[in-house]
Amino acid sequence: MQKQRGKFKDLIFLSITAVSAFAVIAISIGIFLVLFKESLPSMNKFGFEGFIFSTEWDPVQEIFGAAPALIGTLITSFFSLILATPIAIGIAIFITEIAPNFLKGIIGTAIELLAAIPSIIYGMWGLFTLAPIMSNDIEPFLQSTIGKLPLLGKLFEGTPLGVDLFTASIILSIMIIPFTASIARDSFNLTPSVLKESAYAIGATKWEVVKDIVLPYSKLGVLGGIGLSLGRALGETMAVAFVLGNLNQIPKSLLDAASTVTVKLANEFTEADKDIYLSSLYYLALLLFLMSFTILALAKIFLLKAERK
Amino acid sequence: MTPEIEIKNLNFYYAGGIKTLKDINMTIYKSQVTALIGPSGCGKTTLLRCFNRMHDLYAGNRYEGEIIFQGRNILSKDTDLIELRSKIGMVFQKPTPFPMSIFENIAYGLKLRGIKKRGELRERVEKALKDAALWDEVKDKLNTNAFGLSGGQQQRLCIARALAVEPEIILFDEPTSALDPISTGKIEELIISLKGRVTIIIVTHNMQQAARISDWTGFMMLGELIEYDKTDRIFTVPSNKLTEDYITGRFG
Amino acid sequence: MILNKRKIISSIALFICFLTACWGIFWLSFILVDVIRHGISSINLNLFLKDPAPPGEEGGGLRNAFVGHLLITLFATLIGVPIGVLGGTFLAEYGRKYNFSKIISTLADIMVSVPAIIIGAFIYAIIVKPFGHFSGWAGAIALGIIMIPTVLRTTENMLSLIPWTLREAAFALGAPYYKVIIQVVYRGAATGILTGIILAIARVTGEAAPLLFTAFNNNYFSLNMSEPIASLTVTIFQYAMGPYEEWHAQAWGAALIITLFILFTTITGRLLIKRKYKE
Repeated sequence: MQKQRGKFKDLIFLSITAVSAFAVIAISIGIFLVLFKESLPSMNKFGFEGFIFSTEWDPVQEIFGAAPALIGTLITSFFSLILATPIAIGIAIFITEIAPNFLKGIIGTAIELLAAIPSIIYGMWGLFTLAPIMSNDIEPFLQSTIGKLPLLGKLFEGTPLGVDLFTASIILSIMIIPFTASIARDSFNLTPSVLKESAYAIGATKWEVVKDIVLPYSKLGVLGGIGLSLGRALGETMAVAFVLGNLNQIPKSLLDAASTVTVKLANEFTEADKDIYLSSLYYLALLLFLMSFTILALAKIFLLKAERK
Repeated sequence: MTPEIEIKNLNFYYAGGIKTLKDINMTIYKSQVTALIGPSGCGKTTLLRCFNRMHDLYAGNRYEGEIIFQGRNILSKDTDLIELRSKIGMVFQKPTPFPMSIFENIAYGLKLRGIKKRGELRERVEKALKDAALWDEVKDKLNTNAFGLSGGQQQRLCIARALAVEPEIILFDEPTSALDPISTGKIEELIISLKGRVTIIIVTHNMQQAARISDWTGFMMLGELIEYDKTDRIFTVPSNKLTEDYITGRFG
Repeated sequence: MILNKRKIISSIALFICFLTACWGIFWLSFILVDVIRHGISSINLNLFLKDPAPPGEEGGGLRNAFVGHLLITLFATLIGVPIGVLGGTFLAEYGRKYNFSKIISTLADIMVSVPAIIIGAFIYAIIVKPFGHFSGWAGAIALGIIMIPTVLRTTENMLSLIPWTLREAAFALGAPYYKVIIQVVYRGAATGILTGIILAIARVTGEAAPLLFTAFNNNYFSLNMSEPIASLTVTIFQYAMGPYEEWHAQAWGAALIITLFILFTTITGRLLIKRKYKE
């Protein structure tokens, strides 16, 4: 009797936990299906290529194209990635190989706190504090230096207003540093110490050990960390919403205001008064979901491979 | 017989202050094979890692006393560790190929020393691999990843890597403990063949191995060097009771 | 010669790594100091006890947003934590040996980083649209969904750290699996799971994007979760982008409170876990 009841209760507990675990799958698939269904009207009207290559975004005429938002998302993400990756790897090297023990913990925590600060705080700080500094000092300075170079100079043309792709990318880069840094740190720590010792034993300097042994050994993990950061950058909303201006144009320079998929969603979702307008926003959301999901999945595969090594 | 290393009143403390080596005095002779034996935890590996200052990689470790090599105390603060380690190579317990090709593994130490010419690199890599008796097995796959080799081959690769930079001394830290008997035999032959060309200090927990390949043997226990003498004397007429107990297996 | 050059290169490279760490610390301090500097003067009792004044007028506070934020977070926790903990339990215990458990773990890891605004859009379609209006519930469910994967993964990891022999010892006494889990395994992993929950709460407290079109905003005090409800984060966004000095000041005050809360919980969580797993 007693045993029977125990078995029955066990079955109930098992079912509850199983249902909870499968909720993750249900939610993931649910998100995809719902976004897909909601974007159907827009897909039918504009098609795939017609949507992603069109620069028109005209709620009055009911014509919608994703190109400016997609380009804005890609530019801010990649530019911030370029800025953040070397810094994050440097930080990971500093924490694992250079810092004395008491500093390791402190700097490690400080960098992780960068990830804990909410994006809305980044955005507000960016708008009120960083943007004026950018427009008054940094951007004019860059214009008078890098701006004079051929080719690269093109990136810094225009009036430095501080509310632009450049400021947004800087903020994004600060936000994603901790993701790459903490994963790179963990991967570096996986390098067997005897491998490092044998490099030291043939007379390598500390930097040579890092560059020739630690980095090659942990490259899969570092790549995974970069992928995770890219996924984060693609989907970051609030921080960018403050300092990008939500301007529907193809930017010609880093000093142009622009828009991203997330910024468009944040600003226009509640204003979308027509079905096709809302559906086009869902279409954008679906594209963003697919992009970030794919990149995060790839990053995860890299990390799993790195662990198995 | 020329002395290569002179150890005087060496004490060593790990971080936390545990005294692991107690008043070691010994002379290592040039171009000979010196074996360090003793029960686990006796300090033989700790002593070995003093010669190339490996302990300096971890904070808090501390030496006292002197180790004289080429007329200078290598334990002094102003010793250039990178230079020291390029003169004293090391082979570890487990094979440690670097994450690169077989060729690059050997060329790595040479490149650090500024040898960049393709031709010279090829020559020296080939010579090192031949010295390590590995050339015939790998000459057709020099550009493949070193992790693809068997354990014994990887260990000979590590020996070749150490040999390539022509060090004065090579330290072996139980180099065969992770290998099968056939690979072990090959490594032992290799060490014997290096006699007369390079000074070798080898830590082993295998007494027969010490007896087979070394000219000198030091027996250590609880951080002390109990007895140090020619290998044939240690294994036939040890002067210390503890040594005798250990080599006859009457011991823990 | 070459040796010296190599050593110089090494020193320079290591120094650059040191500078990158300074770069990170610099931005952290810059942001924190800036938030404190701007926010501190706006912190007074009125901020917590009064509701917003009409736009452009002096005075007023953010009582509605504080209370609304608390409610949304509370209900999000009540939704997200049980599902997360139970799901994590399944993966670490009953489902341990199945491949699909690994798939769920991996999927959860990915979902942790999926853009929060996507979750907002998802909830808008399945809850806000059918009911015809924004609501506190919609916001709480959105944040709850964001919490699930984080809590689930920490629970799974913490339970896996409990040695299998402990479970065997309990089985040997004739306890059914669910009792072993609840009475033995949970007890051993309690600190770890609690830390995971704290960190998950810290994370959703700062979210604004998923609330924009679920809970929306409300200028009046409300406890009704079936109506639009104010939150600190959405209010910060609205006030900071608005034209009034007074709004900006209050936004900074709210930003300071939220930042301090999140830093406090995050650091507490890290300390808890460090103390527990020091050995």
